[in-house]
Amino acid sequence: MEDGSNRRLFVAWLILVAISLVYLWIDHSATHRGIPTASTVVTVVAICFALIKVRIIMREFMEVRGAPQVLRRLTDYWVLLMAIALLGVYFAGKAVA
Amino acid sequence: MTTTERAVSPVSEENPSERVPGGRDIWFFVLFESAIFTSYFCVYLFNRTQHEQVFLLGQSHLLLWLGVLETIVLLTSSWAVARCVQHARAGRYDGSKRDALLTAGFGVLFLLLKVGEWVRLIHAGHTFTSSEFFQYFFFLTVIHCIHLLIGFVVLGVLWYQLSDQKRRTQQTVETCATYWHSVDFFWVVIFALLYVVR
Amino acid sequence: MRRPALLDDPKRELWLAWYATVAFYSLYTVVFFIITRTQPPGRPWYTPTQVVGWFASRHEGLLIGFGLIFILGGLSATSIALITYSIRRMSVSRAFAYSYLIIYAVSAVPGFLFICVAMTVGAFRPGRNPEILRWLYDLGFLSFSGTMGVFLIGSLIWMVAILLDKNRVFPAWFGYLNLCNALTEVVVAPSWIFHAGVFAWNGVIAWWINVVVFGLYTGAFIFLLRNMILREDFGTGPLPDLLPPEGRGRVLAEYMSP
Repeated sequence: MEDGSNRRLFVAWLILVAISLVYLWIDHSATHRGIPTASTVVTVVAICFALIKVRIIMREFMEVRGAPQVLRRLTDYWVLLMAIALLGVYFAGKAVA
Repeated sequence: MTTTERAVSPVSEENPSERVPGGRDIWFFVLFESAIFTSYFCVYLFNRTQHEQVFLLGQSHLLLWLGVLETIVLLTSSWAVARCVQHARAGRYDGSKRDALLTAGFGVLFLLLKVGEWVRLIHAGHTFTSSEFFQYFFFLTVIHCIHLLIGFVVLGVLWYQLSDQKRRTQQTVETCATYWHSVDFFWVVIFALLYVVR
Repeated sequence: MRRPALLDDPKRELWLAWYATVAFYSLYTVVFFIITRTQPPGRPWYTPTQVVGWFASRHEGLLIGFGLIFILGGLSATSIALITYSIRRMSVSRAFAYSYLIIYAVSAVPGFLFICVAMTVGAFRPGRNPEILRWLYDLGFLSFSGTMGVFLIGSLIWMVAILLDKNRVFPAWFGYLNLCNALTEVVVAPSWIFHAGVFAWNGVIAWWINVVVFGLYTGAFIFLLRNMILREDFGTGPLPDLLPPEGRGRVLAEYMSP
């Protein structure tokens, strides 16, 4: 049983590290001749990946997975709220710029 | 049931509707602090869209691989503290103390990498006041580091809990771990916003 | 004639202090935001000529509003005293209460009175040299925003007291809220450096977001002080739980009490 949950933590960690490494590739694709260029796609993807990681950390590391439904829902809504706020402000800013 | 099956039950099977990991109060803090940080992130993102070139130029001085390394180090420290909680729940306090030390160790490593990064940037002439991008960079990374330093105090409380048989409670162990995880996930977002977002 | 119940209530002094606290924060809000309009703060990048205009448009407001503060500002003591009382009621050392009391009593001078003095001096003689007016303007706003270190330590003291307390005077979530409040004091520190932008004394980060957090924090402790008084049994052990009020608000009260 304990091995099971230990393994689960390890897998979660692996996934988180993998996503972190994917950022290297994203960045590489958005940098031309050493100069970073603005890119909506990169921004949106970067933010989404970050929030996916946050949710994994909450679910697996912070043990929300086994918590009461109130907490599970609340944390999910919070992550969603963060996504809406960050992406919303970003797109609003682009529209106003 | 065999002894191995009874030794420890994973969280999801242990009265799932009863226990908030660490207690409701620390989660109030985590969510409230997330909201505050999100408001800072929104200010950053908005200003970024208004002064794109300045931000891009500033960002080009950052080393992405260093940011990724820091992220992985902090994720690993989070992993260690999560294991610490599980070992403590199973009564294996020696194992959990070892995990707590690992957590602190990776935390210190993160701090060293961060300070090294700051020193490098400052030597290259990029300071808090040198450009709008670096205002946000130093602000967000410093305020995160303050949370990290508080995290070390929290780890001290955790260590004390694990060491003292009479006064320890599983809930306090979880509370300390929950705080540490929040430091980790704040960094996850900060990293994406400062190092990757274009 | 029967004596009014309030004269016999052993908690009457506590209620007096609590209502005085509410009165003080209401006064503070009305004076700073409405009468004197010194909050939201004036812009740090103003030229001396613009500062003259700022003072001119607030001439009567500054004199009347801060005059009120000079008369009634002593009410702020009740807030500090009540919080100190709450810390004394905790199971932790009295040193926490005394430290908190000293820190907040001292910080009221630079953090609260300086701006009142500086702005009334500025408004007192409208024909004053614009450079001197701007000097007063800077002194007022920088002292108000920049002396946060004292409040920071005070918040941390209260937080540690709450988290160590076995008498359950305050819930742990409020202890953590003190940490959030303390961190906002750190955030305001860059206002000493910037004349404009989000970290200036009127900036989105250094002022607006901070004010929201501070407002929530103040509302929370006023509410919790009220709960403490309701629960007070004048003993030295754990405070009894709040009995749920009839009807509405019961769930909230049950959740919020420690």
